Amino acid sequence: MVTTIKSLEGHSRLSTQELLSAIYSAMEAGETEFEVFACGQHDIGGPLWSKDGKTLKFKIHDPGQRVGSMCMENTEIIIEGSAPADVGWLNAGGIIVVKGDGGDTTAHCAAAGKIYVGGRVGTRSGSLMKHDPKYEPPEFWVLKNAGSFSFEFLGGGIGVVCGYDSEEFESVLGDRACVGMVGGIVYVRGQVKGVSTYDVKVQKLDENDIAFLKKGMPDFLKSIDREKIATTLSNWSDWQKIVPLSYEETHKQKMASVKKFREEEWVKEGIFSDVFPDKLQVIGLANTGINRLRYPDWENKKACAPCEYLCPISIPTQERYNLLREGKTMEALSLIYEYNPFPRTVCGQVCPNLCMYDCSRKSVDQAVDIQGLGSATDVNTSFSAINQKQKVAVIGAGVAGLTAAWHLRKFGYAVTVFDQDTQIGGKLASNVSRERLSTESLIKDLDNFKNIDINFNLGKEVTTADYEKIKKDFDAVVLATGAYGPKIPPWPGKEKLVMSIDFLPKVNKGQKVNVGNKVVVIGAGNTGMDVIFGAYKSGAKEVIAIDVQKPNAFQKEIDHAESLGAKIMWPVFTKEITDKGVVLSDGQLIEADTVILAIGEVPLLSYIKDFYETDRGYVKVDKDFKLSDNVYTIGDMTKLGLLADAIGHGREVALVINASFKGHKYEVKTKKVIDKNSLALAYFDSISQENIEGACKDVDRCISCGTCRDCRLCKDSCPEKAIARVQLAADTKFEYKSDPEKCIGCSICAAVCPCGIWNMSVQKALMPADIKTS
Amino acid sequence: METTVKINDLTENDLNWEITYDSQRCTRCGRCISTCTFYALEMKVEKRAYTVSEGPVPTPKRVFSTLPIVQQKSSLKNMCVGCGMCEKVCPNHAIRPVRNKDTREKLLNHAGGNTIKRGGRTNLSVERTLDSIKVGRISQMTDPSLDAIRHTFDIQSPFGRILGPDELPIKVEDDELKISGQMPPASWIYPIIFGDMSIGALSTRAWEAICIATAVLNEKYNIPIRMCSGEGGMPIKLMQSKYLKYVILQIASGHFGWNRIIKSMPDMIEDPAGILIKIGQGAKPGDGGLLMAAKVAKHIQEIRGVPKSDLLSPPNHQGLYSIEESVQKMFLSMNAAFKFKVPVAIKVAASSSSVSVYNNLLRDPYHIVGGFFMDGIQGGTGAANEVSLDHTGHPVVSKVRDAYLAAVKQGKQGRIPLWSGGGMGMTGDLAADAFKMICLGANGVFVGKILIQLLGCIGNDAGRCNQCNTGLCPTGICTQDYRLVQRLDVDKAAETLVNYMLSVDNEFRKLLAPIGNSTLPVGRSDALVSVDEAIANKLQIPYVC
Repeated sequence: MVTTIKSLEGHSRLSTQELLSAIYSAMEAGETEFEVFACGQHDIGGPLWSKDGKTLKFKIHDPGQRVGSMCMENTEIIIEGSAPADVGWLNAGGIIVVKGDGGDTTAHCAAAGKIYVGGRVGTRSGSLMKHDPKYEPPEFWVLKNAGSFSFEFLGGGIGVVCGYDSEEFESVLGDRACVGMVGGIVYVRGQVKGVSTYDVKVQKLDENDIAFLKKGMPDFLKSIDREKIATTLSNWSDWQKIVPLSYEETHKQKMASVKKFREEEWVKEGIFSDVFPDKLQVIGLANTGINRLRYPDWENKKACAPCEYLCPISIPTQERYNLLREGKTMEALSLIYEYNPFPRTVCGQVCPNLCMYDCSRKSVDQAVDIQGLGSATDVNTSFSAINQKQKVAVIGAGVAGLTAAWHLRKFGYAVTVFDQDTQIGGKLASNVSRERLSTESLIKDLDNFKNIDINFNLGKEVTTADYEKIKKDFDAVVLATGAYGPKIPPWPGKEKLVMSIDFLPKVNKGQKVNVGNKVVVIGAGNTGMDVIFGAYKSGAKEVIAIDVQKPNAFQKEIDHAESLGAKIMWPVFTKEITDKGVVLSDGQLIEADTVILAIGEVPLLSYIKDFYETDRGYVKVDKDFKLSDNVYTIGDMTKLGLLADAIGHGREVALVINASFKGHKYEVKTKKVIDKNSLALAYFDSISQENIEGACKDVDRCISCGTCRDCRLCKDSCPEKAIARVQLAADTKFEYKSDPEKCIGCSICAAVCPCGIWNMSVQKALMPADIKTS
Repeated sequence: METTVKINDLTENDLNWEITYDSQRCTRCGRCISTCTFYALEMKVEKRAYTVSEGPVPTPKRVFSTLPIVQQKSSLKNMCVGCGMCEKVCPNHAIRPVRNKDTREKLLNHAGGNTIKRGGRTNLSVERTLDSIKVGRISQMTDPSLDAIRHTFDIQSPFGRILGPDELPIKVEDDELKISGQMPPASWIYPIIFGDMSIGALSTRAWEAICIATAVLNEKYNIPIRMCSGEGGMPIKLMQSKYLKYVILQIASGHFGWNRIIKSMPDMIEDPAGILIKIGQGAKPGDGGLLMAAKVAKHIQEIRGVPKSDLLSPPNHQGLYSIEESVQKMFLSMNAAFKFKVPVAIKVAASSSSVSVYNNLLRDPYHIVGGFFMDGIQGGTGAANEVSLDHTGHPVVSKVRDAYLAAVKQGKQGRIPLWSGGGMGMTGDLAADAFKMICLGANGVFVGKILIQLLGCIGNDAGRCNQCNTGLCPTGICTQDYRLVQRLDVDKAAETLVNYMLSVDNEFRKLLAPIGNSTLPVGRSDALVSVDEAIANKLQIPYVC
C-alpha cells in the first residue's frame, strides 16, 4: 500500500522537518512505499532504511534541493518531472530517477547507487563523485547534456552523458569539464570541448566500455520512459570516454620545448648571426686549445738565475751545476772560460761575489758556494788556431783588455795586446793587495794567456802616433788603458799627499816604502783597504782611513782592515793637509806621517785624438762601447767598477767586434732575473753546513733557477698527459712541449717546476671568428 | 729561512672568500684552476718536513716530502669571489669557497684611489618592505573566493596612455558615439616586463635566451610578456623579424645603438612593443650607465658604434633640462619616430622627486606619456660603483604607493600606467612581489636580475660573485668572451625562464583567487596587511600582528 503525503493543504505548507517527520512516522508504522507531493522541501528520500530490509520506494513530485541525498541501498526514488540542485548528493546506494532535468551539482559527491536523469543537468554535476572499492561504483546517467565544470574533481564512479537533443551546444559537458579529475570514467556522446587536458585524456571506447553501456542503457532508458531512442544512442562510434591521466602522466616533468621553437620558428641562425655567428655549441668548464683561459710556456733560460743576473760577466752558474750533477766535472769547470779567464783570482778571491748575494738557495739554507767553484778551477783551456782574417789590437793588458783579447782570440782572430808595463794583469796584478789575492792564483790565471797565441807588445807606452798607426794596421782597436790619473781635490797641502796608484804597485812589487808610524788613508773604499794592508805591510803602527760617506769597501775587507788595527772614520771632511797630518773641516787634526789618497782615479786620455765625450773624466760610450769607427773603449776608462765589471766589458766588446766582423749588429741582451715566486723551493730540504763537501760536490743545493734541470716533474704531474720531452738533434739538447689540444691550462706544470721554467699566460678573449672551421 | 710574512702583507683571511681545500681528496686534475675565470686559484707545491723517532729510544729520522696543492691567491686583483665554479667542477668535492665574515677587502681594495666597482644589487639594503606585507584579505563566507584552477583570469596591464572618460576624443554624431580625435597608442600586456639589460652588459647568448623565452611565452603559452632591450642597441635580425612586436626599445643618455635601429625602420614588419626612455636607474641613481672596456668586444663596438673603451652613459640626457622639456622633446621625438603608433614610457630612479614628476606628467595635455617606470634601490646593474649600489636610492614600495595615491587625488589613477622595479623577485617570489606592488597601486613590475639568475647567474645579494663588470662572468651571461659565452646553454637557460614564468602565472591565480579578483587588483590595498606597524601606516594598509 502506498502512503501518500501531501505537503500543501490550502495555504498551509509542511516544513521540511514536518514532511520528513511524516515519512519517519509512516515508516515506524511499517510503510515502505510513498508518493510525496512536495513543495520544495529538502532532503527527501534519505538516509532511510526499513527495519526488515524491505526496499523503500518513493515517487516524488516537486522536490526541493538534495532530493535523494545520502540515499541508501534499497531505496528507489522516482522524481516525476525536474528536480533542483544536488539530486543524489552523497548518494550511498539508492537508485534515483529524475524524469525531467536535474539542477546544479546533480550527483555531487555520489559514491554508490545510480542516478538517472531524463533531461539536462546543471553546472558542476557529477563533481567529486567517488568510488569505494568495497561497493559497486556509482553510476550517473544523463540523457541530454551537462552544464559547465561537470565532473570536476571526479574521484571515481561512472558518468554517462548521452548528448541527446544537445546539438546546439559546443560541448555536451559544458565548458572546462573534468578539471581536477583523478579517477572514474565519463562516457559521452556528441561534441566535447574544453575538457581539462591537464587532468584527463579523451579516448575511444573499447569492448568493455561498449559492453557496459549496452548493458546499462536499457535500464536507464526504461527508467526515464525513452526506450524508443535506444537505437539512436547505440551508435557506439558517436561515443568517447574521458579518463584521468595516470599519476605518472600528470607528474612527468613538463618542460617548455624551447629548443624546438628555436630551431623551427625563431630567427634563422639567431638574432646575432650577422655580428656574432654562434653555433650555440655548449662547452664545459675546463677546456683545451683556444678555449683555455690560460696556457703554459716552457721558457727555458729566458730568465737569469740571480747569480747570472747579478754577475757583471753573466756567468750562468746554474749551468755549471747542472753539468756537475751529470758528472761532467771538466765541462762544468771549463765553462767559466766562456765568460771569465780569471776564475781563481776574481771569482775565487777578489770579487765580492755578487752572484751569491741573492742566491735562491738562501731561502732554504745558504747560498751555493760559487766563490769556491772559482777557486776550484783546476782546468786550462786551449783555443783552435787563428782562422779569421781580421786583426784586433788591444791597448792595455789589464783584466778588461785581457778578457777582450781572450774572447777575440777564442773567436779565431789575431790579437795583439799593447801595454806600457812589462807584465800583464793591470791593477789586478799591480794594485790589489796580496792580503786578499794570492800570488799563486794570480800566476795561474795569468798563465792562461801564455799559450793561446796572443801577441803581446809590452813595456812601451802607446803614444798618439802609435795609436794612430795601430788604428790603421788593425781592423779593430780596443782601448782598455784603465784609470791611472789620480783625482786630487784642491786642498791646501795637497802636494804632500801620496797617491795610492803609486803606493800600491810598490808594495806589490815588494819595494820598501817608508810611511812612518802613523798613516792616514783618505778614502775608505776597496782601494783604501788595499792601502791600509800595504801601510801595515810597510811598517805603519797606526792606520786611520777617513771618508766623507759610509765606506763602500766590502765588509770582508773592512773586517780584515779592522782586525789589523785600522780605524775607519766617517763622515769626516778634509780641510787641508799639513806636515802634522790631516786637518778636518771642524779643525780637528788627525796626526799622520804619511797621508795616502785613495779616492779613485780617472783615465789618462791624452793619447786619443779622436772626438769623444767624457763624463767627469771618463769616456762616454754607448752599450756597444764604440768610440769611433773601429775603436772601442772599455773598463775603467768608461767608469770605475769592479774587476768583474771590467771583465764583463772585455767579453762583451769581443762579442760586439765579432758581430761587426760578421756583418751583423750585436744586440745587447737585456737580462731578466727569475721571479723567485716561480721557483718550487719546497722540493729542497735544508742541508746543514757539515754535510756540504766543497763547491764541486755541492751539486744538490743549486736550484737551477730559470734553467731546466730536466727533472721531468712537469711531465709526470700533468693530469692531461699533455707534456712531452723532446730530444733535439744534439744529444745534450732537449725541450719540453705542452700540447694545446690536451692542455687545460691548469698550471700544475708551472707549480711543480723547481726551476720556474713553465710560465702561465692569460690567453686573450675569444671571438667566434677565431674558431677556424675544420 | 722562509720569507717572513709581514703584518701588512695581504693574506687569504683578508679577502671576502676563503677556499677550503682537502688535499687528501684532491686528484690534482687541475679542473678547478682551469675553470676559474678570476684566476683566483693556483697550484703550488707544499712541503711536509719533520723529524720523527720510531724506535724505543730517540732515533731521529728526517721525513721530507713535497706535494702539489691547490690554493687561492692572496691578491686583490685575483681574489676569490665565491662563484663556486671550482666546487661545481671538482670530481671529488675537495674544494669550495667559504664566505669570510672577517674580510678586510672593503678597506684594502683601493689601489691608486680606485673605487670598488661591481655588478649585482645592493648588498646592504637587503631587508624588504614587501616581506612584511601579506595578502591578508581572504574572501570566505562573505564573498566566495575563486577557484584558481577553474576560474578564468585576466592577467593584463596597460602599456601606453589610458584616457579617462573626460579625456576621450569622442562625440555624438547622428545619435552615435564617434571617435573624433587621436587615441594614444596603448596595449595590454603581461604585468611583468623583462628587461633593461643591454646587449653588451649581457652576452649575446644570454640576451637572446631572454628574447627567445619572451617569444615562447607569447607564442606558445599566450602570455603577453614584453622584453625591454636595454641601452645597447638592437640586433638587426630581430628588428626585421615578427618578434620585434614583443620588444620595448630603450633609449638612454648614451643613445647607444640607435643608428642601427633607425636604419632598420624601413625593414620592420612589426612595430616594437614600445619605447622606454631611461632617465635613471634604481641601482645607481644619478649615475650613468657603465660598460667596462673588458666587455666592449668587436660586435658590441659595431652595434654601439664606439671603440673599445669604458663606455659611460652620462648621468643625464645631454639635451634635456626640465620635465617640461623632457616631455616636449624626448617624448615627442620618440612618439614621432614610430608615427604615434607605439607607446612611449619613461624610467626614473625612485627618488624624493619622483612623485612630483609623476604628478606633472599626469597633467600633460598631449597624452604622450605612456608609462612611468620607477626603479628602486634594490635594482640590479651590470656595473656600478659599490658606493652607489649600496648607499644611494630609495626603496620603491612607498614611492609607488605615494605616486598612486597622488594620482588618485587627481582622480587620474591608471591613466599613466605605473610600473615598478628594483629587487622584484629578489627572494625568488616574483609573483608575490608583483602582486603586492599591484595591490599598492602599480600596474605591473619590471625585472632584470632575477632573469639572469634564472639563466644561470650565481651572483647574489650576500656578495657572491657580482663580477658582471669584469667580463669574466663564469656562467657566460655577463661577458663577451666566447670561451665563457659558450658555457651558456641557450635552450636550457630560456627553458628555465619559461618554466619559472609559467609558474609565476599560476601563482598569480593562486593570489587572485583568494581575494576574489578576476583581474589585476590595481590599488586594492585592502587586500594587504602588514605585520610592521610603521610600514602599515606609511602605506595606509591595515596593521596586523
